[in-house]
Amino acid sequence: MADRTLAQILAQLKHSPSMSYPEANALLSKAKLALLKLNALTPASATPAHILPLARETYEQGALFAIRARNPPDFTRYVQQLQPFYELPSNILTPNLPERNKVTGLSLLLLLTQGRYAEFHTELESLANREGGDVDVEGDRYLGYPIRLERWLMEGSYDRVWKAMKSSEVPCDEYSVFSEILKNQIRSEIASSSERAYPSLPISSTKSLLFLDSEGDVISFAHHRGWIVRDGQIFFPDTTTSARTALRPRR
Amino acid sequence: MPGKTPQGNGKKPVGSGVRKTKDVEMTDASKTKGKKGAKDTDEEMTVVVPPSKASKQSSKADAEGDVSMDEDKADEDEAKVDPVVQTVADIKSNFALLDRAVALFDARFSLRALRSISIIRKHLTPDIIAQVISDTFPATVASGNIAKQLLLAVGRENAPLGRQGGSEMEVDADPSKASPKNGSKKEHKDIIPETDIFLGILVQVYLFDSKQFQRGAEFSQYLSDRIQTLNRRTLDSLSAKVYFYYSIFCEHIAPLAPSPQSPVVAIRPTLLAALRTAVLRKDVDTQASVIVLLLRNYLLTSHINQADLLVSHTQFPENAVNNQVARFLYYLGRIRSIQLRYTEAHEHLTAATRKAPSSNCALGFSQTATKLLLVVELLMGDIPDRATFRQPTMEVALHPYFLLVQAVRVGNLEDFETTIVDHADTFRRDGTYSLILRLRQNVIKTGIRMMSLSYSRISLRDICIRLQLGSEESAEYIVAKAIRDGVIEATLDRERGFMKSKEVGDVYATREPGEAFHDRIQACLALHDESVKAMRFPMNQHRLELKNAQEAREREREMAKEIQEGDLDDDDLGGDFDGM
Repeated sequence: MADRTLAQILAQLKHSPSMSYPEANALLSKAKLALLKLNALTPASATPAHILPLARETYEQGALFAIRARNPPDFTRYVQQLQPFYELPSNILTPNLPERNKVTGLSLLLLLTQGRYAEFHTELESLANREGGDVDVEGDRYLGYPIRLERWLMEGSYDRVWKAMKSSEVPCDEYSVFSEILKNQIRSEIASSSERAYPSLPISSTKSLLFLDSEGDVISFAHHRGWIVRDGQIFFPDTTTSARTALRPRR
Repeated sequence: MPGKTPQGNGKKPVGSGVRKTKDVEMTDASKTKGKKGAKDTDEEMTVVVPPSKASKQSSKADAEGDVSMDEDKADEDEAKVDPVVQTVADIKSNFALLDRAVALFDARFSLRALRSISIIRKHLTPDIIAQVISDTFPATVASGNIAKQLLLAVGRENAPLGRQGGSEMEVDADPSKASPKNGSKKEHKDIIPETDIFLGILVQVYLFDSKQFQRGAEFSQYLSDRIQTLNRRTLDSLSAKVYFYYSIFCEHIAPLAPSPQSPVVAIRPTLLAALRTAVLRKDVDTQASVIVLLLRNYLLTSHINQADLLVSHTQFPENAVNNQVARFLYYLGRIRSIQLRYTEAHEHLTAATRKAPSSNCALGFSQTATKLLLVVELLMGDIPDRATFRQPTMEVALHPYFLLVQAVRVGNLEDFETTIVDHADTFRRDGTYSLILRLRQNVIKTGIRMMSLSYSRISLRDICIRLQLGSEESAEYIVAKAIRDGVIEATLDRERGFMKSKEVGDVYATREPGEAFHDRIQACLALHDESVKAMRFPMNQHRLELKNAQEAREREREMAKEIQEGDLDDDDLGGDFDGM
């Protein structure tokens, strides 16, 4: 009986992905209660085989709803609950690759935006050895995305990161949740490297450099970072003096 | 004292010979062993005969030492002796060592026994093992059960027990060895557990060499259970070996490692329990070996988090055997390199390669550790020493890495990419592939650095073309990042789109030389500390001194008494007190 209610709840959740998080949460709690009654919160050898996919789906839906609601702690919890299911051999639980890679890719992206690079790479290392993971990890639509982003971020090809965040490049809706965070992240990266790299910058080209929409945005951003704006040029506080003295003798 | 090192070196081939790059290893091990045989023996002699042992023990020890010397001579003289008889005798001669290890409570003798396995190994057949077992065990009920298990494992369960008389006849045919042996054997009243565990290890070795992994794993389980019930400190070094083979057997049973169903995963609870027991019993040998096995186990299934947690929650014993330390450092270096903690990884891996035995017997370990070390050095932005690639034993194995280093050094992205594609399989097999992929940014950085050094001013467009960066914008961001990270000293001009390098100042005015000196001094100090820690002091030596002191005090008291009683001459007094 419990498994029937579980299936119903799942159908409901899948049917309306735009449901608000509190509503979805209520449903998810019911689903988890049902799982508890079935004794299938974590996979055990005694768990009947037809319950396992249901349990996995419950957590996957939970993870997706949590990320849509921008709730990283809940998302992380769901992902951790999913781990034992993903480690089950394929003859016990047939892996649902697209969903699994989607959730894993999201968790990678989360680690990336939180700057937890060590964990990101640890996770990556284990991906290659996962059962059914013979497929090219980088070639995968969901998994390849965070991997490419990380590589570009490390290299400094920020324009590619920017392009990749456009809606057409993002593998699915949930991934765009991170775009805002990433945008701010790369903007501050660019700003900090510009401070060291340029003696001064014209406002007009700073706009494109920082991927800002208007010159007004540039000025407010400059004020926010404590930069000096003068004569249509931006000077950077610590480097201005040294840059000027460096220029003067040549004239 | 004859130090720890020769023993450690000798023991290594058993362990790592099995572990990595099997093909290289095995041939090498046998090659060196062939000529080592003779060399080994005199090395052993210096180790064995304890020159400064306490006097009461020395008579026995010396006698034994003589025995082994006689044997060695016999070995050399009669090279054509029947190998079966020879091996049986070899195995039995180890029982004497184990006996002594128990009697003197000195683990070095058990280590010596373990070390000889590598020589015995080549001649091991079920018949030999069966013969030794039936010679050794009397036909009593208690020891009969143990012997039965051992015999069952080699498939000779019908061999009769307690053939002591008969066997002596056989050995007697070879008189030079037999006579001392008989003497020592008659002292055995019952079989010490060390002996049967040692035989168990021989059975394990035999099963492993004949690729009977499933049976080996079952037998190992029985053996490890038995060790747990025995709880004898003199078993420590033996039990470490038992667990080692147990885990090796599991690694070879299908489904192989990365699969979560592999027996490798199933063995973890056993190993963890063994670790706990070892820690509680202060069993350093088993503790070190089991920690290393667990790390290896986790890394096989890429459970890096678990491995990291294990490292942070356990303490690796400080006075572990050198080889275990080397392995531990290697695995630690691997974990750290995956976690992007390159400085630590570099430190551990350097130590691991240095601690690896310098002889060819553990070539596989040295190669693997060096490969990883090279990649980590590259990731840190250093260029490895060219001499590393010239070592004759490494040259072939390191060739792909040599190409990689060349590409990184010049900053040539194209070469770099082709090297990765060409040798992807090698890198994957070495487990360095994902680390090498991270190198791309280093190649770019070096490329920028080279250009900044060669040109005082270069357009972003040229940088983009030379490094194949895709677009000028990318080049601009990348160069800006390089400037911020301190890779180059330069400025960018956005309007005109070029990079202008700053004059390079005097290196000796910077902190660079100081840091280089600091590194070297630190290495020297660490070496000094380790040498001090590695010093060994013979057990119970201080008691001897205590005894002497007590005797002196006794004499003093006697003398004082005599003085009181007044029956001491003046010159007597002077003479004695001078000596004090």
